[in-house]
Amino acid sequence: MLTVTKLHKTFNSHGNLVTAVDNVSFTVPDGIFAAIIGKSGSGKSTLLSLLGALDIPTSGKVEVDGQDITKLSDRKLIRYRLTQIGFVFQGYNLIPNLSAIENVMLPMEFAGVSTKQRRTRAEDLLEQVGLTADKLSRKPSRLSGGEQQRVAIARALANRPKLILADEPTGNLDSATGKLIVDLLHHLAKKQNTTIIAVTHDLEIARQTDLTLKLADGKMTVASSSAAVPEPAVHAAKAVHA
Amino acid sequence: MSTVSRGVRNAFRNPIRTGGVTIILGLSVGLALVMLLSLKAVQGRIDTVKSSIGNTITVSPAGARGFDGGGEPLTQAQLDSLKSLPNVTAVTGTLNDRLTPVTDTSLASAIDPGTLGNRARRATNPDSANAPTGGPQRTFSLPVMVTGVGAVTPAAVNATSLKLVSGTTLDAAGTTNTAEVGQALATKNNLVVGSTFTAYTGTKITVVGIFDAGNQFTNAGLMMPIKSLQALSAQPGQVSSGTVTVNSVTNLESAVIAIKAKLGTAADVVSQQDSATNAIAPLESIKTVSTYSLIGALAAGSVITFLTMLMIVRERRREIGVLKAIGASNIKITTQFVSEAFTLTAMGAVLGVIGGLVLANPILKVLVTSNTATSTGGSFGGGGGRGFGRAFGAIGGNTLTTLQTTIGFDILAYGLLAALIIAFLGSALPAWLIAKVRPAEVMRGE
Ligand SMILES: Nc1ncnc2c1ncn2[C@@H]1O[C@H](COP(=O)(O)OP(=O)(O)OP(=O)(O)O)[C@@H](O)[C@H]1O
Ligand SMILES: [Mg+2]
Repeated sequence: MLTVTKLHKTFNSHGNLVTAVDNVSFTVPDGIFAAIIGKSGSGKSTLLSLLGALDIPTSGKVEVDGQDITKLSDRKLIRYRLTQIGFVFQGYNLIPNLSAIENVMLPMEFAGVSTKQRRTRAEDLLEQVGLTADKLSRKPSRLSGGEQQRVAIARALANRPKLILADEPTGNLDSATGKLIVDLLHHLAKKQNTTIIAVTHDLEIARQTDLTLKLADGKMTVASSSAAVPEPAVHAAKAVHA
Repeated sequence: MSTVSRGVRNAFRNPIRTGGVTIILGLSVGLALVMLLSLKAVQGRIDTVKSSIGNTITVSPAGARGFDGGGEPLTQAQLDSLKSLPNVTAVTGTLNDRLTPVTDTSLASAIDPGTLGNRARRATNPDSANAPTGGPQRTFSLPVMVTGVGAVTPAAVNATSLKLVSGTTLDAAGTTNTAEVGQALATKNNLVVGSTFTAYTGTKITVVGIFDAGNQFTNAGLMMPIKSLQALSAQPGQVSSGTVTVNSVTNLESAVIAIKAKLGTAADVVSQQDSATNAIAPLESIKTVSTYSLIGALAAGSVITFLTMLMIVRERRREIGVLKAIGASNIKITTQFVSEAFTLTAMGAVLGVIGGLVLANPILKVLVTSNTATSTGGSFGGGGGRGFGRAFGAIGGNTLTTLQTTIGFDILAYGLLAALIIAFLGSALPAWLIAKVRPAEVMRGE
């Protein structure tokens, strides 16, 4: 369970204080697919980076299974990113001179998994995301956008994280491919009982999710949930997902 | 795939840049290597010159050299006062005397007078000054040279080497009537260890050893303990000259000044200081050039690596952020970049070592010619005609023309070491930049 309490983040941009995330509180139960929506500049990416421990909040708490990750030491933060989080970005962010399979193996290498196991699991994951065997050793530049995003999803799943954070994962894809990617993400996460929090502009996608968190000027305004999640979910989205 | 192998692979991501950087680094590593080699060669030669020149100072009575000149003798007490001077490690006195065969000693001279002996006799004897130069030579015996020594050293008998051929070394500190005789003198007089001869109104002197000093003049003489000789020749406490040993050639000059201050006008103080300085000066300047070039080459290599790594790190900011976001530690990422830097410099080093092998001696030759051209004028030859000015001029000349770098297997180790140093210096700031990359940046500006 992910519990966010009074999360606040301000940036100092050339002397002016910019509040990117303003006193946000919410709860996401395990295994939920949640969407964050909001206008450009409303603080979606900033919120995601706070959840993924890529940045430190100005104040407030992010608790994962009761542990406040904002208070972790540097070493534990790295461990948290490595084992608990999987990131999927709009721009895929694959390492350009590594092949598809090497990109998927990378987080497992950081986690100390043996080379043989890394390869087996990477092959397995790439098969699950639907990358054909002949493309495993291709560099990202020789893959299509959709294929690159499949590799990125496989990479995010590599260390069996509890939480997948996706920042506009379909933003660079046509809507048909985007839908395939979201379905894939959803399907795989369900299989591993992984929580997904995805930032999206696509209301079509948002409609499929269990929980929708809406940001406006850094504040959380509306949270709606599918029938499976009782309302109001803004301050306590209780997990009763099937 | 490991962090290190990823770094190595990354070094080839941009082949054109890699090629360029390798060539430039190769030049700087090669230059550094050449400078290191010439530094070693030059230092080796400086050491040889210094040890060949010796670290001794000769103190003689003012106005006298051996049996020539005049003035008052020096005393052992005066010499002893020099022992307390800074950098002086030993002071020994010698007393020279001449024994005329038949009248003074039972020994016969081992040297025939010949042309030089007769000329010297005419020069000192007014009777023979008017004798026709081409006339028949008179027969006379050259005196046997006896040296009272305080220590058995080559310097004490004006030789460059001193070998004991048989018997034992003379007890120079003793007061017995014993002698170590030169090889030639021993042969001439059929002396063996244990033989005796007479000198100084019939005093019996025992041969304890026979030496070879490597030259005829010294080998025709003999050594006795200085105290014995002082007593026998009725010159108590007197010395003909003293040899002051200084701890290092580099302190010769200051020691000469101190000795002159101590003894004032009573003594003439002579060292090979000037010859040493003259012989070493051009070498020292090659050393200086080499040292600065070495530092310069390493610095240039480091700066190039540094700028390259800076460029690479800036180019891959996002990638660094991604690595951090997926759980890489700063140490892992830094290791990867240092491996990349090391790969670049190692390739440069290989190129540099090959270049260094080819260019070391030609470059050293250029250094030598440009340095001798500026320093030979007058400094070697102008020794005042005393003989060793010219002799050391020759050493100085040889020193430079025969200088050669020696290239061994250690060259590879040096090249690799240079590459390592360059890689680490060049990666230090980029590593700091890596640590500063905020992983949240991957979210921005897609
Ligand atoms: N590092 C930063 N320094 C200064 N201001 C920042 C920084 N990061 C974000 N901001 C500001 O915080 C606010 C929220 O930015 P954020 O990137 O979270 O928006 P977003 O909702 O993801 O927008 P978009 O949909 O365009 O991606 C913006 O006003 C942005 O300018
Ligand atoms: Mg954003």
